[in-house]
Amino acid sequence: MERSPVFDERDLPLLYVLPGLFVFTTFMLFPVVYLVGISLTNATPSTLFTGEGAVSVLTFGESTIVGLENYTDVLSDSAFWNSFGVTWLFVATSVVAKICLSVAIALVVTSNRVRGKRLLRSLIILPMGLPAIFTITVWRGIFSSAEFGLMNQLLTMLSLDPVTWLSGRWTAFFAYNITEVWLSYPFMVIITVSALQDVPSELHEAAMVDGAGYIARFLHVTLPAIKRPVLFASILTAAASFQQFLIPYVFNKGGPARANELIVVYGYREALAFSEYGRGAAISLVAVIFIGAFMWVNVKRGRLAEGVAEQ
Amino acid sequence: MSVYRRLVRNVRTACLLPVHIFLDTCREIGYTVNGVRRGEIPPSQPLKTLGSTAGALVMVSVLLFPIYWILLAALSPTGGSIYSSSGLSLLPSNPTVQPFLWVVGDLIVPAYSIAMNIPATNLAVVFTTPEIVLLDVSQYGVQNPSNFKQFLWNSITVAIPTVIISMSLIVPAAYALSRKEFIFRREILFVYVLMTQIGGGLGIALLIGLYAVYVQFGITDSKLGLSLYYAATAVPFNTWLLKTYMDGIPASYEEAAVVDGAPPWRIVTEIILPLSAAGLATVFIFTFLTGWTEFVVAQTLLGTENYTLPVGLFSLVSEYSIPWARFSAFALTFATPIMLVYLFAQRYIEGGLSFSGIEG
Repeated sequence: MERSPVFDERDLPLLYVLPGLFVFTTFMLFPVVYLVGISLTNATPSTLFTGEGAVSVLTFGESTIVGLENYTDVLSDSAFWNSFGVTWLFVATSVVAKICLSVAIALVVTSNRVRGKRLLRSLIILPMGLPAIFTITVWRGIFSSAEFGLMNQLLTMLSLDPVTWLSGRWTAFFAYNITEVWLSYPFMVIITVSALQDVPSELHEAAMVDGAGYIARFLHVTLPAIKRPVLFASILTAAASFQQFLIPYVFNKGGPARANELIVVYGYREALAFSEYGRGAAISLVAVIFIGAFMWVNVKRGRLAEGVAEQ
Repeated sequence: MSVYRRLVRNVRTACLLPVHIFLDTCREIGYTVNGVRRGEIPPSQPLKTLGSTAGALVMVSVLLFPIYWILLAALSPTGGSIYSSSGLSLLPSNPTVQPFLWVVGDLIVPAYSIAMNIPATNLAVVFTTPEIVLLDVSQYGVQNPSNFKQFLWNSITVAIPTVIISMSLIVPAAYALSRKEFIFRREILFVYVLMTQIGGGLGIALLIGLYAVYVQFGITDSKLGLSLYYAATAVPFNTWLLKTYMDGIPASYEEAAVVDGAPPWRIVTEIILPLSAAGLATVFIFTFLTGWTEFVVAQTLLGTENYTLPVGLFSLVSEYSIPWARFSAFALTFATPIMLVYLFAQRYIEGGLSFSGIEG
């Protein structure tokens, strides 16, 4: 039978996929297009939401088009660069801390000396089963400067002075990092543990025969074997850190005085808390471009979508 | 049925795990003691093992201490104080369930009057149902209980439509992607995989656009509108997950059914769907949890009346004072069922993680 190049009776199963694809693109793609539109206008709630229905949606209410002014404004604003810098710093510090902690935990729960490893392993990844909003509000309580905040109780116990964690710039940043690490170490541990279990025990035995100590074996046998999976997990978790919204928002809305607004929070607050829709949209788009570029490079280089290519 | 049986098996394995570990440990201790006594094992070996295991236990306790602390805070009337004049106190003093009663609130089915008109007459029969008091918290000294029940209702009425809408979008698509060959199939799969990686943060970045559109169409503060959004965001990941699951069903079953002359719809309802029951259950849980735990969009779009549980939880925390006991009890009541579901579905969820190419 001759197959038409465009559409064919055999392509009918596409109809099963189309509803999902349609709904998904309506709710993801349309807001993207709309966001691009808003970012080119000077929209504020008073101008954007005048007028009714579909027509005013397409003309952005009564806001006027200002071209790329928002982008030049944003890119020459020191607040933007502050947020941009804090975001990358947050990605760097939290990812390094996550890798160190997770590899350490994974080494402990796969060690031959430790008994009850199965139970320990299922306990250790428990935080993964908790809703993010629960974990983050609880950590918000831990770092609270109100009475009975856990961190300050521990400090008092060590006869140190309590700290107003969320009112200082770097103490708040520290609190973000601790929470981010606790939030996502289970994911890293799962991957590292399965990588560690794939390291052939003959290699370790051979190294031991050669008289290699624990550290030498870790550096020359374990590390090369787990490098790739850990790197892979780090890339994914770095992307998650870059997009972290809930921690700064729940802790102190990116404060004190907007100093710690990670880039997604910055865009969100600029639009919805300070009514600068155009600027907020421009910031968000810059963030999306960065996430997209980051993921694109990794999909290409790390062959993330290998499974698809095989199909 | 098989899902139910598997669930029972999982629960049983999870419950028996500590028992097994305890028995194994006992056996091993006995073996080691004998070995040391007979001089076969140098005494330093078991000591090292003991030390490492103790170290590992300390590590786990430190890592999970926040969870223990929140439980402690919920049970003690003073609220989360681990430091007292007598030093460290890790057990609640005067444990009370009052905070939990505050969360749950009254459980009273009010009295209803049901009037029925008898046709063709002017008579009516009126039934009055009795008031059923299951729990009256004011008896236990709790005034002004929380809005938990209202939040719960809102969460349910957001999560259930999310599940229904997303399942009806996901199941046919997963079937087609797994079993059929058609135009753009690979492109669609590629987009879906890409979206599972960047979906979350993109969602918040796009929130401004979404919010503006919702305001224009006047559907902010609409629970159904929110469900529709959740369903849309759940499509890529879950379609991919279910498709991968369906790929594992041998094609020979279908071929046998075709030989026996079964029509296509019967192949789907009697082979594909029953055999992918576990995959369907996983997708069900995931889509349900999407609506159940999402915070940012719900907080942006919904008004106070329609707050879901996560938004309700957040509204309890303020900068300089936190009602510790109540906050903790609320948080635990919200999170514990999810944690239990996770514990028993752990294997599937970890299996779902490996899809993203981690093995490669």
